[in-house]
Amino acid sequence: MNGYQQSLQHLTRRHFLQSGTVGLGSLAISTLLADETANARPSAASDGPLTPKQPYYPARAKNVIYLHMAGSPPQQELFDHKPKLQQMNDQDCPEEFLKGERFAFIKGRPQLLGSPYNFSPHGQSGMMLSELLPHLGEVADDLCVIRSMWTDQFNHAPAQLMLYTGFSQFGKPSMGSWVTYGLGSENQDLPGFVVLVSGDKVPSAGKSVWGSGFLPSVYQGVQCRTSGEPVLYVTNPKGMDRAGRRRSLDAIRDLNEIQLAEIGDPETLTRIAQYELAYRMQISVPEVMDISKESKHIHQLYGSDPSKPSFANNCLLARRMVENGVRFVQLFDWGWDLHGVGNDTDLITQLPKKCKETDRPIAALIQDLKQRGMLEETLIVWSGEFGRTPMNEKRNNSKFLGRDHHPHSMSMFMAGGGIQGGLTYGATDELGYFVTENKMFVSDLQATILHLLGLDPYKFHVPYQGLKQRLIGPVDDPKVRHDLIA
Amino acid sequence: MISYLSKLLMVFLLLLGVGTVTWASDRSPAESQPVRDQTNDKIDFKRDVQPILTASCYDCHADENTDGGVRWDQKSALMGGDSGEVAVVPGKPNEGSLLARVLGEEDLMPPEDEGEPLTESQIAILRRWIEQGADWPDEVQASGIAPKHWSLIQPLRYELPDTKNKDWARNSIDPFVLARLEQEGLSPSPEADRYTLVRRLYLDIVGVSPTIEEADQFVNNTRPDAYEQLVDRLLASPQYGERWARMWLDLARYADTQGYEKDNRRTIYRYRDWVIGAFNHDMPFDQFTIEQIAGDMLPSATTDQYIATAFHRNTMTNTEGGTDDEEFRTAAIIDRVNTTGQVWLGLTVACAQCHSHKYDPLTQREYYQLYAFLNQTVDNDQPNEAPIMITPTEKLVGEIDAMMAQIAKKRNDFKTYQTPEFTAAESQWAKQLAEEGLPDSPKFANWNVLGPFPAKSYQEALAGKFVSEPEIDLGKTYLDGKLHWEEKPEHLDNKVHVLKAEKSAYYFYRTIDADRLIPFDFSFGSDDSIKVWLNGRVILDNQVERSAQPDQDRVPVQLREGENRLLVKIVNGAEKGGFFFRPIDSPLTENALRIAQSSPEQRTPQESETLTSYYRAIAPSLQPLRQELLGIEFKLQTLREESDSPTTPIMRELDKDNRRDTHVLLRGSFLSKGPKVEPGVPTALHPLATGAPNNRLGLAQWLVDQNNPLTARVTVNRFWEKMFGLGLVETSEDFGTQGSPPTHPKLLDRMAVEFMQQGWSMKKLVRKIALSATYRQSSRTTPGLVEKDQGNRLFAHGPRFRLEAEMVRDQALAVSGLLSKKMFGESVMPPQPAGVWQVVYSSDQWKTSQGEDRYRRGLYTFWRRTSPYPSMIAFDATSREICTVRRIRTNTPLAALVTLNDPVYVEAAQATARLVVRQGGSTIKDRAIYAFRRCLVRPPKPAELERIVALYQQELKKYRENTEAAKLMATQGLGAAPADSDIHELAAWTVVANVLLNLDETLTKG
Repeated sequence: MNGYQQSLQHLTRRHFLQSGTVGLGSLAISTLLADETANARPSAASDGPLTPKQPYYPARAKNVIYLHMAGSPPQQELFDHKPKLQQMNDQDCPEEFLKGERFAFIKGRPQLLGSPYNFSPHGQSGMMLSELLPHLGEVADDLCVIRSMWTDQFNHAPAQLMLYTGFSQFGKPSMGSWVTYGLGSENQDLPGFVVLVSGDKVPSAGKSVWGSGFLPSVYQGVQCRTSGEPVLYVTNPKGMDRAGRRRSLDAIRDLNEIQLAEIGDPETLTRIAQYELAYRMQISVPEVMDISKESKHIHQLYGSDPSKPSFANNCLLARRMVENGVRFVQLFDWGWDLHGVGNDTDLITQLPKKCKETDRPIAALIQDLKQRGMLEETLIVWSGEFGRTPMNEKRNNSKFLGRDHHPHSMSMFMAGGGIQGGLTYGATDELGYFVTENKMFVSDLQATILHLLGLDPYKFHVPYQGLKQRLIGPVDDPKVRHDLIA
Repeated sequence: MISYLSKLLMVFLLLLGVGTVTWASDRSPAESQPVRDQTNDKIDFKRDVQPILTASCYDCHADENTDGGVRWDQKSALMGGDSGEVAVVPGKPNEGSLLARVLGEEDLMPPEDEGEPLTESQIAILRRWIEQGADWPDEVQASGIAPKHWSLIQPLRYELPDTKNKDWARNSIDPFVLARLEQEGLSPSPEADRYTLVRRLYLDIVGVSPTIEEADQFVNNTRPDAYEQLVDRLLASPQYGERWARMWLDLARYADTQGYEKDNRRTIYRYRDWVIGAFNHDMPFDQFTIEQIAGDMLPSATTDQYIATAFHRNTMTNTEGGTDDEEFRTAAIIDRVNTTGQVWLGLTVACAQCHSHKYDPLTQREYYQLYAFLNQTVDNDQPNEAPIMITPTEKLVGEIDAMMAQIAKKRNDFKTYQTPEFTAAESQWAKQLAEEGLPDSPKFANWNVLGPFPAKSYQEALAGKFVSEPEIDLGKTYLDGKLHWEEKPEHLDNKVHVLKAEKSAYYFYRTIDADRLIPFDFSFGSDDSIKVWLNGRVILDNQVERSAQPDQDRVPVQLREGENRLLVKIVNGAEKGGFFFRPIDSPLTENALRIAQSSPEQRTPQESETLTSYYRAIAPSLQPLRQELLGIEFKLQTLREESDSPTTPIMRELDKDNRRDTHVLLRGSFLSKGPKVEPGVPTALHPLATGAPNNRLGLAQWLVDQNNPLTARVTVNRFWEKMFGLGLVETSEDFGTQGSPPTHPKLLDRMAVEFMQQGWSMKKLVRKIALSATYRQSSRTTPGLVEKDQGNRLFAHGPRFRLEAEMVRDQALAVSGLLSKKMFGESVMPPQPAGVWQVVYSSDQWKTSQGEDRYRRGLYTFWRRTSPYPSMIAFDATSREICTVRRIRTNTPLAALVTLNDPVYVEAAQATARLVVRQGGSTIKDRAIYAFRRCLVRPPKPAELERIVALYQQELKKYRENTEAAKLMATQGLGAAPADSDIHELAAWTVVANVLLNLDETLTKG
């Protein structure tokens, strides 16, 4: 490389930071400026929007694995044990709860539905968990169950957007985008934010739940697919082998360098670098996505099977991803919208099936990360997008058991990444309708996750459209829940 | 105290429109201002008190809005309002009601659900102000205190600045750019070479690169006006409309699906085609605006003008189970307000949906006043997108538009009909009405029921015509005698009747006898879809999925004298269906009676008008006109239905009697209604023109009023940005106080003024930019220049930036000769990887288009919001869920993988290879030059040529060793190679073309 190119390369980095033409520029520089009061977060001298960046303050967690049960599981059957509700099964829901309430499907005066499942204490903390989650019971002392979450949306798409973007309408960046924007990623040969989907369906709000909103699109989640190409277009055309690709990339580079010498646009250098990255990604992505070389023991632990896509495979993949430096792994599993309108949405048939598909792999993920010493720095989050009603939905007098959408209370859990294990946090009233203790809004969760990653949720922002845009929204109400942190 | 005062000062600065300074950093402006300790100073009303009033009181007590009769933007407020309590007694803080109210000793102000209570320090200020005599200078009014932000001041047509270099400028753009460069000690770059210019012009004006022949034609044209000629020829090309429509479709958030969970398909492509046509005909931007915002309200609106209103029907529709239509109707109106603010005003108004705008002079109240303009349309989040219009294409459009004009004229004749005889007859009738009361209710015969007609699917049941709609024969039998009409006296009105069969259609029929003409309301409920004919005319067509409730659809109808025939078709999807009906006296009828019973002198003009309009509906003298109107309307309906044309969702204003009230929505929630507001424009901007209607049409005209300081600037800036890669205002989405200030404010202003003066012609604007010396500069840079002119903000060199997503694809197709020139029509589905469309609750499939539809320009690609075309997204296209003003360009490995490996690009490489072999000459060198020029237009330099030839020979050698691989490389995707071709050569040229299509220069406009 001649001196001219070196000076250009030097400029490229500055160009990245200072010019709007790469898109990233004006955003990144503003955030760096905004940090002047907090710790400055210089990025490494090398280039790239995903270059690792220092957090604002020491982080408890480096990576996140978010397990989303799309459709929203019923808390009454899994985490929020309600003996009183079981006693009052089939009685009319007290009027006091129904005043001014709107439901997605319930009409008239609904009846209470006690859980058909038993709970028992687990672990040293005696955490009450459902019989449907025997494997999670084994890792109860690593779990922090939150029974006091709530949201303000009760349709799937807006609730998912609220959870991931802090806003119920479209257009804002998702949590994974914010995190990779703020921290970069440890492995430049893989996307920084990976999405894995099981159950054959993407979530209701579509790809916006891993979209980058007004952040540069390099921060959007990359869906890694478990059938077909792992990342779209990662495979060379038929008839071109890896050596052939290398030769053609050499030609592209040589021709680009001629152009660079002629025109002198630093962007050309960036493009050369991105093509090299693409070349490395062609190897690294299929490699990380290939679980066939994992030991039999590991497959038994997770219940995974390389020959057919499953949530279990995705849990194993999530471990492989964070092991390889991916910053944020987002799993979506479809099939939890248990309205009780048919066999496939029934609490008696569908719920145990879904639990069976997910209970073992999640417990395995926690154990596996722990064995590898990675649980400490990997935050695992499990949730739906809202809760479900304490009442039986009984749509059109359905004989199946099911629950309607319920924004006022939901349960979720976290593990690892600085979270206190064996903790049951918050409570609902005796029927599980409203939260009565340690009420936690979805943006409190967002604030807490950012905090664990060392990103100050109040300061971490991007100026856009005249506002300091933040994941937690424009007001400072959301609170980091220090009680949850070990 | 200091921190409090600095905060107060900030509130003051921010709420009152901020000063002339725009802060470049995102530190709050107040923090960078020196702050005096003002603890013991005299309270200054303007500085100290009014900010508190602005923040806490003006939402309900300012402008026309005077809750309780108090206007806190006027001095009269001191005297209190309707309650008679004096608010402020100067010098006596304990006597007036103001302090008692803000302290909550009397009814708390602001009320708990309408705003934060005042802080202690704010209350202390008010107290001291009253103690000091409550001085309120007469000249102080609500607004206009701080100097206005630059973008809110009318642009001026500035004189051209003096420059040292007198030879460089070509038109009025250049002196402004040059003066700035000279100021920085820079000089402009030399003009780019002709190959670069021709490619740049093609990409900018028509969105695809030129062919070798087109390029040579220009390069070899020695006429002095060759450049101008080329610009004009390109502006006249139909591809111009396609290129610039692409830009507009991002703003319009145009997509082929409804969004949200189900994300079902929506037919709205006639709107996309309308935009292309409007650009090609160079529709003036003011007309372009008015037709899109309020084309339906123009006198004698044409089909095209209705189609234009689909601009705001591109909002999303939520058909997710259990959603509240009003909630998502509200979301759509909010989106329309925000989009209008972004597209025309360049202002982010969205924040004001929840709180008064912190930075820009827009209160929450003003936000909802804008909202009120847009809140009166019929649409309300229906799955069938109602109201929709059957929008015939050219063949029928003339005939239909003539009928629409005729109807509009007749309606107007009807509405304004007034003769002395008519007036006399009306007062006679009113007297009779007052004495005799309302006419007898019409007699409703029993319902006759027919069904169920089974179908394979809901859709099939919906489409099926199981009887001869709308004229039916009660004696006929159906399904081999299994079904016949049954009279059902037990089928009573005002009750939901259950229909048992799934996936089926039912019909209901009855006659209604009226002894005279009478307006009436019919109220229906259904599970699921319902279609209703009255006397052969469709009066309701609601394709929905819902469970039946009373009063879901209310339709005003006009019963004629004698027998009326009412036919209803209910189509049920899954589970049980249902039907509900009841007739309701028209509110018009009740009002008419009440008004008729009052004495004529006591009637308000509005009441007199109500009475007259009722009488018009039944006056015998108007019978021929009514008949005629009905006749044409029926003919128009039939013509539309039979034309088999696509539908388009349109805007339609609610009837006068069904207007919605608009309230401030607290925190933007449709459930928390604050004070009621009327339509109005923000006070920081120009007022509505005198005599302009205070409705959506008035708003549209206001947007393009010559006095609007924003619209022309924002629009000029947008075109500049598309051609230079960077606007004169870099934040093209934000002209407010938080956006970047213009780099060349006088240039922007002059262009804005000239844009308006030249009749808002967008083609003239593009032409002007293209002809400037600034635009023609070479994009070559040196490290010194990169450093001095970061990001080319001073335009010291020509534009150089990556092509936008659609252009990357269009260019590859054009280079390879695959690009179809077909324009307009349904969106197409070029190849996309399997499994990309996996959407909840939808079995919709991506069906790859065949023939030339695989190779259409990118703007015709089917746009599914929850799952947009993946290769476009990799190049920063958006999901079109909301309006996008500026796509941010990124440079990522995922984009590289698209152009390297996406089958679309591999096919393009294969096709290019075939062209190279067929047309590129006989030597390897000739062919390499040909391939290079197809992609890059210019001839290659020797070093480039050498490298390409080397690559070719290397690949040819490899493929000669592996014929199987060669076959795959050359044919997998595009199909069998021509019979006489050498497959190894084709494969090697395919690799070369793949390389060329991935060059930085190819992906970049230079």
